[in-house]
Order: sequence, then structure tokens, then C-alpha cells
Amino acid sequence: MTAEDIMLFEIELLELLKEVIDPEIEINIVDMGLIYNLTYDGEGIVNIDLTFSTPSCPLGDTIMTNIRETINQKHPDFIVSIDLVFEPKWTPALISDEGRKMLG
Amino acid sequence: MQGLQTNNAPHPSVIIPHFIFAAVSLIGVAILLLCSENALLQVYFSGKMIAITHLTILGWASMIIFGALYQLIPVVFETSLYSERLAKVTFYSLGGSVLFLCYSFWTNSFAVLLPYAALATFISLLLFVINVFLSYKKSPRNKIESKFIMMSIFWLAATELIGTLIAFNFKFNFLSEIHLHYLKIHATVGFVGWFLFLIIGVGATLLPMFFISHELNRNWLKKSFVFLNLGMLVMLSNGFSVNEMSLEIVAFSFSILGIVYFLSYIYQSYKKRLRKKLDVGMRYSALAMALLVLPILIFTVVLKVVPIADDFVNRAVILYGFSVIFGFVTTLILGQTYKTLPFIVWLHKYQKLVGKTKTPLPRELYSEKIATAQFYSYFLCLILMAIGIITQLSILLTIASYLLLLVGVLYTINVMKILLHSTKKAA
Repeated sequence: MTAEDIMLFEIELLELLKEVIDPEIEINIVDMGLIYNLTYDGEGIVNIDLTFSTPSCPLGDTIMTNIRETINQKHPDFIVSIDLVFEPKWTPALISDEGRKMLG
Repeated sequence: MQGLQTNNAPHPSVIIPHFIFAAVSLIGVAILLLCSENALLQVYFSGKMIAITHLTILGWASMIIFGALYQLIPVVFETSLYSERLAKVTFYSLGGSVLFLCYSFWTNSFAVLLPYAALATFISLLLFVINVFLSYKKSPRNKIESKFIMMSIFWLAATELIGTLIAFNFKFNFLSEIHLHYLKIHATVGFVGWFLFLIIGVGATLLPMFFISHELNRNWLKKSFVFLNLGMLVMLSNGFSVNEMSLEIVAFSFSILGIVYFLSYIYQSYKKRLRKKLDVGMRYSALAMALLVLPILIFTVVLKVVPIADDFVNRAVILYGFSVIFGFVTTLILGQTYKTLPFIVWLHKYQKLVGKTKTPLPRELYSEKIATAQFYSYFLCLILMAIGIITQLSILLTIASYLLLLVGVLYTINVMKILLHSTKKAA
């Protein structure tokens, strides 16, 4: 894969992760701004820097499981590595315009 | 961040029995009101009135708060509950004690059964206090919200201690003042110390989270904490010593300042919210916050800050208790049930299914129509009950009691709908 292919594939993965919804807020994690970074190494390994709206988010494990399952449903051989990061702290400013529309 | 615990929530079997007991108690309260020949029109220190009050406060409000708090401890304290087994023992012990206590009051068995019932309740509540305290000791951070919760736990123990002393005094008669004097302290420590501190601690965590609002003035919460504690200290030291009206007004003023700071914080959160549309749970919560102003106004009447005939004081005392228990606490609990219980059940049933199959949203676990019907029935019930207490029109109180029964039934239907939700049905 060329660098451009990888970049396009990363965008595709982010689109896929829009299926992962925070069930309380009812917005997907991409538009919520919870994904700080997503990289693909071109050989089946996806690295994600993920945050939560609060460090003690009771949905934390569920969201991480959902991310892995959603990617593995489409790419069963992929290894999904998730790093939880809390710097910078999540703020509502990270919610996308699309996400704000969903909030009403 | 390594070692982060996001899976600290206790097993649903710890929490769910509290919600069932509370829902049945709410129906029980409505039935007792209907069977009590309008206890709300009588003097507030009557066996039936006190039985209804304690079933509402302990069987309904505190029971549900205990269940919800076990779930919220990981969110607020950022650690797991100290002991799930202790929580289960506390539930059975408290459930039995509350029924025993209410029976003692209802049958006017003040000198025979009440001391033992009060002691059993005291021990049950102490188990809860120990469990929360030991959870707090594991907490990595000491946020202002945690401090509010810990103070509420302290005041809960104090409330129950005073209540138990009053109960034993019926048998052994060792207190210097009349019962009504200590009852007033018992009620105030319970309302302000236990309920208000706890609700501020939990509300300051949950409401901005549900509103999705950030960058709030947390100094207001700290000021609220200081003023409410000052109010409690002045009230208690006055109550157990000189018993001066001027000091009571000072304590009341401190408490009002504390409440105003808290309400300002919540109002700021409401104004800065990103989630503009309020669901039924948040509509209840917003109403509860607005209704918190009522007991403050009514208490000025009870304190006779404004001149009032003695005949009205008894009504004002009942209206004050009603506005705290039903206007504020119950309204908030009814709303927050729809924010917490579906989430708890959803997490338990769908945690392992997410990503593999389509899952419903937590709010789809209950009927929105029933919740909305319950909201308007409850609102009408509050208005009729308040007017009935003021005007002493028994017909209004009877209609309001039937409405409360309807609310209890609708609420229980939705609670059971959530609890009995089947993943097969969703698929």
C-alpha cells in the first residue's frame, strides 16, 4: 500500500467507526471527538488513541469492545490496539458539527 | 493511561433489588395515604403520618438512592464499591427494618416495638455508611462531589442516631426536651444533611454529564459545601444548647446561601448545555431543581420569619416536609431512574453483544409514553396535594393520593419493563 492508500484506508476505518455509538449521548464516537488519532500500518495493525468524556466513564470497556468488534467484523485478521489517553482532556469543543446537529 | 479501571460497576444483582423495593414502596405510600383518613390534614406528629413519612424516605427514596449510589461510586470516586456482599446484606437488613419501623409507627407502638425497629434500622444504615466510607478511602482523587457524598453519609449516620435516641426515649424517657424538639433536628439533619448533600454530590456529577456542559464554575460548589456545613453546625449546636430563634435564622441563612450556589452551578450547566432537547428523565430533574425553591420559602413560614397564625404553622410544617420529599427528592428520583436504570440493564445485557449485532438504545428499554403520562400525572398530583394541604380540602388530597397511586403503578410498569427486557425481543 502506498502512503496515499493508507491515508484513504484510515479515513475508511474512521467512517466504519461511526457505527460505534455512545448509547447514552446517542452520538457516534468519531463525531463525539473521542478518537484522537487512528493509524494503519499497512499490514493489518490498527492503532487508535481513544479518550472518554470522563476518565471513569462506565461505558469505557463497552466502547473499546465495540471498536474492536466493528473493525473485526469487516477485517477479521486485523489487530486493533487501543491506547487510552486523557491528555488533552476531552471537551465538548471536540464534537463535530455533525455531532452538534445530532444533539438538537 | 495504563491500569485505568473502566469496569468497576457492581453486578446488577446488587442494584436492581433496590429499585424493585423502592417501586413497591411508592405504591405502598399511595395506599397508606388513602387508608390513613387524610393523615396530611392531621397534626404532623401522628403515628400514621410518621409511618408514611418513613416509608417514603427510607423505603422509597433512600432505598433507590442506595442502589443508584452503588452504581455511581465508580463514576464519582473512580474506584469500585468496597464490598458487594455487604451491599446485599444491607439491602435485606434495611428492607426488613424499614417495614418493621413503619409497622411500629402505624400501630402507635412507640414504647414497645419502636426502639427495636429503630435499632435495626440504625444498624442497617450503618452497614451502608461503612461500605461507602471504605469505598471512598480507595478513591484516588478527592473531588468536591466526593466530599458532598461523604458528608451526606456522615449526616445520614447522625440523622439515624438522633432518630434512634428519640425512639429509645419513648421507652426510657431520658432526653431533657420534648420529642418535637428532637424530631425537628432529626428531620432537618435528614433533609439537608442526608438528602441535599447527597443530591448535590451526585447531581453535580451527573447533570452536567447528561446536559453535556463543560467549563463550569466549580468554586460555586465549594462555596455551597462550606455554607451548607456552616448551616448544619449552627443548627445542631443551637438545637442541642441554647435553642435561640436568632441562631436558627442564621443557620437557615447559611443553608439558603449553600442552596443558591448549588442551583447557580446547575443553572450554568443548563445554560451551557450542548444537548438542547431534554428527555423525560431530564425534564423531571429540571423540575426538581426548580421545586427546590419551595421548601426554602415554606421554611420561612415555619420559622415565623413572616408573621403567621399558629393554625397555619402545622399546615406549613406538613407542606414543608411534602415539598422536600415529594417536590424535590421524589421528582428527582423519578427522573433519574430513567437515566440510570435502563443504562444499568443495557450494560448488563448488551455489553458482550455490541459490535456483533444491532443493539437498542437504553431509552428504548422503557415506554416513553408511560414515562410522559407518569410525568404529567405526578405534576398534577403535586399541585393538588399542595393546594389540599393549604386549603385543608380532603377531596383534593384524596384525588392527589389516587394520582400518586397511578404514578406508582406507571412507574412500576416501566421499571419492570426495563428489568424484564429480553435481548431476544430486541433482536
